[in-house]
Amino acid sequence: MRLAELRNLSKRFGNRAVLDDITLQIDEGEILALLGPNGAGKTTLLKILAFLEKPDSGEVKFQGEAVTEKNAERMRLQSAMVFQRTLFFSTSVYNNVAYGLKMRKLPQNTIKEEVKKALRLVKLEGFEKRSVKKLSGGEQQRVALARALVLKTKLLLLDEPTANLDPKNVQIIEEVIGTINRELKTTMVMATHNMFQAKTLPQRIALMSDGRITEVGVPAEIFARLSRNLASFAAVDNTFTGTARITSAGTTIIDIGNGVQIEAAVQRQGLTSVFVTPQDIIVSKSPVVSSARNVFKGRIVEILDLGSLVKLKVDVGKSFTVQITKQSFSEMQLNLDSWVFLVFKASAVQVI
Amino acid sequence: MKAWQKILAVAVMATIVVVAGTIVYFEYFARRSLRISTTTSLYDTGLLDEVKRQYEATHSVDLNIISAGTGIALQQASSGDADIVLVHSPSQEKTFLTNGYGVCRRIVAYNYFTIVGPSADPAGITGKNATAALKSILAYGRSQTGQVAVWVSRGDNSGTFSKEQSLWRAAGYNQTVIANNSTESWYWTTGSGMADTLNVADQKSAYTLADLGTYLKLSKDGAISLVSIISGGKSLLNVYSVMAVNPAKVSNVSFTDAIDFIKWLVSDTGQQVISNYGKADYGQSLFYGAVQAIKDNSPQPDVSWITSYAYFNGTECPTQYRDDHSELYP
Amino acid sequence: MNPIIEGIIKAFELIFSGDPTVYGIVFRSLFFSGVAAILAALWGTPIAMLLGLRDFRGKSVVKGFFNSLIGMPTVALGLILFLTFSKAGPLGFLGLLYTPGAVMLGEAVLVTPLVISIATTAIEAVDPEMINLAKTLGASESQASITVLKEAINGVVFSDMASFNRAIAELGVALLVGGNIAGLTDVLTTDISKYTQRGGSDLAYAIALSIILMAIVFGINLIIIVARNPKVLATFGRSPQ
Repeated sequence: MRLAELRNLSKRFGNRAVLDDITLQIDEGEILALLGPNGAGKTTLLKILAFLEKPDSGEVKFQGEAVTEKNAERMRLQSAMVFQRTLFFSTSVYNNVAYGLKMRKLPQNTIKEEVKKALRLVKLEGFEKRSVKKLSGGEQQRVALARALVLKTKLLLLDEPTANLDPKNVQIIEEVIGTINRELKTTMVMATHNMFQAKTLPQRIALMSDGRITEVGVPAEIFARLSRNLASFAAVDNTFTGTARITSAGTTIIDIGNGVQIEAAVQRQGLTSVFVTPQDIIVSKSPVVSSARNVFKGRIVEILDLGSLVKLKVDVGKSFTVQITKQSFSEMQLNLDSWVFLVFKASAVQVI
Repeated sequence: MKAWQKILAVAVMATIVVVAGTIVYFEYFARRSLRISTTTSLYDTGLLDEVKRQYEATHSVDLNIISAGTGIALQQASSGDADIVLVHSPSQEKTFLTNGYGVCRRIVAYNYFTIVGPSADPAGITGKNATAALKSILAYGRSQTGQVAVWVSRGDNSGTFSKEQSLWRAAGYNQTVIANNSTESWYWTTGSGMADTLNVADQKSAYTLADLGTYLKLSKDGAISLVSIISGGKSLLNVYSVMAVNPAKVSNVSFTDAIDFIKWLVSDTGQQVISNYGKADYGQSLFYGAVQAIKDNSPQPDVSWITSYAYFNGTECPTQYRDDHSELYP
Repeated sequence: MNPIIEGIIKAFELIFSGDPTVYGIVFRSLFFSGVAAILAALWGTPIAMLLGLRDFRGKSVVKGFFNSLIGMPTVALGLILFLTFSKAGPLGFLGLLYTPGAVMLGEAVLVTPLVISIATTAIEAVDPEMINLAKTLGASESQASITVLKEAINGVVFSDMASFNRAIAELGVALLVGGNIAGLTDVLTTDISKYTQRGGSDLAYAIALSIILMAIVFGINLIIIVARNPKVLATFGRSPQ
């Protein structure tokens, strides 16, 4: 059953066409991922589905009914969006999570119960009285999620829900998303950058680029065809294209250029695209003796401080994105231009 | 309804409440009130505070006293913003009567202006009359170089200022021309009240024209060290009169209460209050009650000066402006 | 004796003497300015919301207009109001001149641009996505703007305090439309002016009233600050860290 339908949507901001002739259906109970680089129009599309923005032309239908200025307010009660940048009311966790419920004029006791349940779901039990401003980035994002989930809307829109979070928080959030979809059959549309997430969470993927949807399909299909569309994913971390040949050991070596050869635990021949999740790469000051087949020496060319995590770009001939804890970063006394070794297993290499 | 519209609605209602509340209060709850417009020189001596105290104790009317310059007081009365005027400028009072705005004029008090100055008296005015004194002051002023202040003027539209102007005229000069001429740098203008002007004159050791009451008050407290050099004389006579605003010409004025007040002011009680004021504090009265003096035709030559200066067509109030209240004019 | 010292002594005498005249003057100052601040908040907040939340052509002109009104000379405003309330003027039939109502309305008109200016800035400082956040969680247009207002509450309260402080310190408007009538429309500022003008021994009285006025304003501001954040009291005892 179609929950929502977008037909020939276009939207401009000033001179720029942010969305260009978008047609998309959202089926009830599915998780649909919007995959694409920054500026592809994912956020705007989500906002239109949240009935926060109006398209310049085209049609939006929700549960068969056309969405207009007049009924948008009513429709919004059926959808909730979690923004990319965490935004809060300057008050307690409880008041934030309870906000939507208060707007819907539910009785106090019910609100209390529902907030408790929602916080338990995101593993923030007992956090009701805390001030949101004092929480960590990951905890804040979980509160934002709870704030939307507690409303039990038919449609949930998530804009990069796990961007820049540490693995623990990413895991919790991904679990919650899966649980809600399974148990409450909530329909979700999520925008993401993260190839791994896009492979595992959604039932369908829509590829977006320059305001257009280029392909829609199940993950397996999309990834199988992906190499042809790789230009779109230049922004995604650690994705490379190269020539593969099978070794006598039964593994595959892919030459991605500049003398960098990656060994993968699969069998491929010819033009292949691969990616390696940053979390799977170990950073070390000295070459580690281990079973890992991939060891590369390179220099740090970019450092991004994310609080408890530090993201690094290391040039080993090609640029790899890796992440380590702040503690490790200072213990190893790393800096721009520091030499490091990147180590990862052949099994960590995902072939697209 | 949008949020801001709701707040705006409350705002409009609150405003209406304030306005309506004021109107209702004054219509139904407050005592009747009488608005008296008067001059700063009278007001600043504190006489009217005493008058108000005594009057309100025996009458169920509130006196609301507003002080401004004589000119403004008369103007406000003609707009309907006052019921009574108490001023000291016979020429302007005459115009007020003949234009139909005022009725029932009575002269209630008199005293004398004084020319005050530094005790050293550099311009040598001691013993002269007012006009001769001004001539000396002008000569002395012109002999000084630089921005030395020799004379300080109020330069507002008060009764004191119009008296000053008439004195300069009698001395043969045009005050306006002198004041506006930048080469006459000895002549300073403050544009403000009596106390202020006296303070400036004191600081600069200059001469000025002051009403007796304000001068005595300030000098008694040691606030200024100027001395009263010339006082008394016909040209320095200062006469205070009261007039009611004509209900036939200006709407919404309290006329009955106004007449009652005038009657009180010219009665023995009222006149006592006036002539007693200041005796305790300053050792002399600040004002003389005019009513008994005129009736007794004494002291002279003061009374004849009063009749010559402040009477119109041989009377305090020509009959056509008496509004049928002949009992005010025995 | 130095008139300032005299004034300080007299200030204490007046406060503790229980003199009803002085208490009346203080009450009127507080009451008139309080009502004026409330009216200004009511008039100004909806305008601030419109300016802060909406975009429209000529918006910067309107904002600039209100900002410049803050600098309007108060005697000019007092004169305009006087001519309006005077019996000969357009609102003369209401009979408001020289009444407490006129002082309250006059002071309200005076401080409204201040409220608008500060409150608009406070509302604009709220994250622009806040309105979308409120809406996606189910708030109506109206509820969402109230939520934004709440986020801006610190700035809004500041605008109200600023307007009260300005109103209670106002002389020109209060004098012109109120007439400084003893017991009816006289307030601290107008009486300070009157006694200063009279000079002499009255100067001590003027200074005493000035001290009382400053003490009241300081006291009220302090109460509001503590009421909004009781923790401030704790910092008074500690030495600087």
